[in-house]
Amino acid sequence: MFNYRLYWTFAKKSFLRSAVYRFDVWSRLGSNVIFLLMWGSIWTALYAGREEAGGVSFQAMLTYIVVSQFLSGVNGAGTPLWEIQEKVRTGDISLELMRPFDVPLRYLFADFGSVFFYMITALLPLYIILFFFMDLSLPNDPLIWLAFSFAAFIGFLIRYCIEMAFGLLTFFLVETGGVEDIFYFAMSLLSGSVIPLWFFPGWLASFASYLPFQGIYYIPNAIFIGEIAGYQILTSIGVQLFWVVVTYIFLRLVWNKASQKVVVQGG
Amino acid sequence: MAIIEVDQLMKEFKVAKRETGFLGAMKSLVKREFYTKHAVKDVSFTVDKGEMVGYIGPNGAGKSTTIKMLTGILVPSGGTVKVNGIVPYENRQANAKNIGVVFGQRTQLWWDLPTIESFELLKEIYQVSHSRYKENMDTFTEILGLDEFINTPVRQLSLGQRMRADIAASLLHDPPILFLDEPTIGLDVVAKERMRTFIKEINKERDITVILTTHDMEDIEQLCKRMVLIDHGQKVYDGEMAVVKNRFGKIRTLVVDLEQHSKPLTLEKAEVFKEEAGKYWIRFNREDISASGVITQITQTHNIKDLTVEEPEIESIISRIYQEGFDGVEQPIPVKSGS
Repeated sequence: MFNYRLYWTFAKKSFLRSAVYRFDVWSRLGSNVIFLLMWGSIWTALYAGREEAGGVSFQAMLTYIVVSQFLSGVNGAGTPLWEIQEKVRTGDISLELMRPFDVPLRYLFADFGSVFFYMITALLPLYIILFFFMDLSLPNDPLIWLAFSFAAFIGFLIRYCIEMAFGLLTFFLVETGGVEDIFYFAMSLLSGSVIPLWFFPGWLASFASYLPFQGIYYIPNAIFIGEIAGYQILTSIGVQLFWVVVTYIFLRLVWNKASQKVVVQGG
Repeated sequence: MAIIEVDQLMKEFKVAKRETGFLGAMKSLVKREFYTKHAVKDVSFTVDKGEMVGYIGPNGAGKSTTIKMLTGILVPSGGTVKVNGIVPYENRQANAKNIGVVFGQRTQLWWDLPTIESFELLKEIYQVSHSRYKENMDTFTEILGLDEFINTPVRQLSLGQRMRADIAASLLHDPPILFLDEPTIGLDVVAKERMRTFIKEINKERDITVILTTHDMEDIEQLCKRMVLIDHGQKVYDGEMAVVKNRFGKIRTLVVDLEQHSKPLTLEKAEVFKEEAGKYWIRFNREDISASGVITQITQTHNIKDLTVEEPEIESIISRIYQEGFDGVEQPIPVKSGS
């Protein structure tokens, strides 16, 4: 049933499409670097010359931020929330219903294309240089690299399911500002993208640990710097896998409801 | 053999009532009231294979709603639809392979990429074989001149080029049925002509069934032998275009420009239905009175500066059917001022 070639073509075309917007690549990269500098300086100031805080060395913390910014570059290259909302409002998505393909999957594969383009043209070159010239703590074990890449990929899928589902909520809402606020708040704080979960006050840390967002940044980052190690890596990835299934079901539910609404109410 | 069967089709929408004022807004936060809008009411028709049918109606008549039900992206509230033996909304993806759709108001091409990329994508979406794809592309390139702009990004195409690309895109997978929703909207005369020639040709050569909605009367006159007229969600007329023209073709309009005068214009067997700055639009039935007969009447009391006799245009016929219903039109013409 799964038409691999078709979805692969979506990825390919979307890769080409990204190549059209070269300026976009540079501006994204620019803002990525600015955020990196910002969070780098904030954490340098917070450590205030100390070698270690909360059992985590300054070097590891800086690595955490650099890796986190890399991942946010990756995640940011997919179809953003506002664009999904826009496509719902203009009816573009409703019209895709009359095509013989699955809409959520089609967007996922298109995202693979654009993310891949952005990664090889901008992100990887930049971050390889950073890894060389900055004093970061890189894992020695290739298995850790592998676990990190896998966790980062699962994190990407979790983020995709949540962002797409949130975007599709536009079908049911007139005013979508609230959804956006919740989404970006969760993405920046609860995911641990700029503050690792171990620095959270106890109640917030346990709150975040019951949510899927930690799987997007915190888990891969913490694996990378060794905060999550040994068998914990497996349980953390297990948690991620659990969330990817849950968020995927959530996305499917929203999509089914949305397409049901389109076909009954005309969108 | 009927390829499209529509029987007592209905579509109702529930529309939320918007209450005004602060209290109303508060109230609608808690409890919203709805009213039902009947977009399509009890419409039935069948279309045979290879037919070309104009689906005509004013804005908001229910044309697009019907088309959407035929494409499967809307579920009817009542009645049945069958397209090429398939119930569209039950089997949307199978139906998708049988139909081609062009919306004049929006493109289905990938905006940022060269046109050819969208064609290649559609080839994969509809799993068109390589040889068939090549054949079709060759044919369309020849008739529509796609090679002029095939490597240009879609966003840089002119509207005429974009429409040509869009219609080619809708036909790549050899659908037996083609839905065209205002395919000539916004095009210049030459581009419109080119589009019509193409539509006629694929209808004839490939035996593709075409359903066309349009506001362009030239489109209807040139393309559709048959037309289905709908208004307020209901079918007003279904039959040959020629019959409509014959039936209402007897009505002529005389436009006269009169010199300064004080007397009102009174005419027998003809009536003034519009007056503007000394210009009069006069309607008469050719069987009751000739144009010269009307003119003679006028010259008895007024001096004519200028005059023209307008042939009945399908446009005015349709606007009269909209206003008065199909059966009412032949009755004595009601006087409408200023319309």
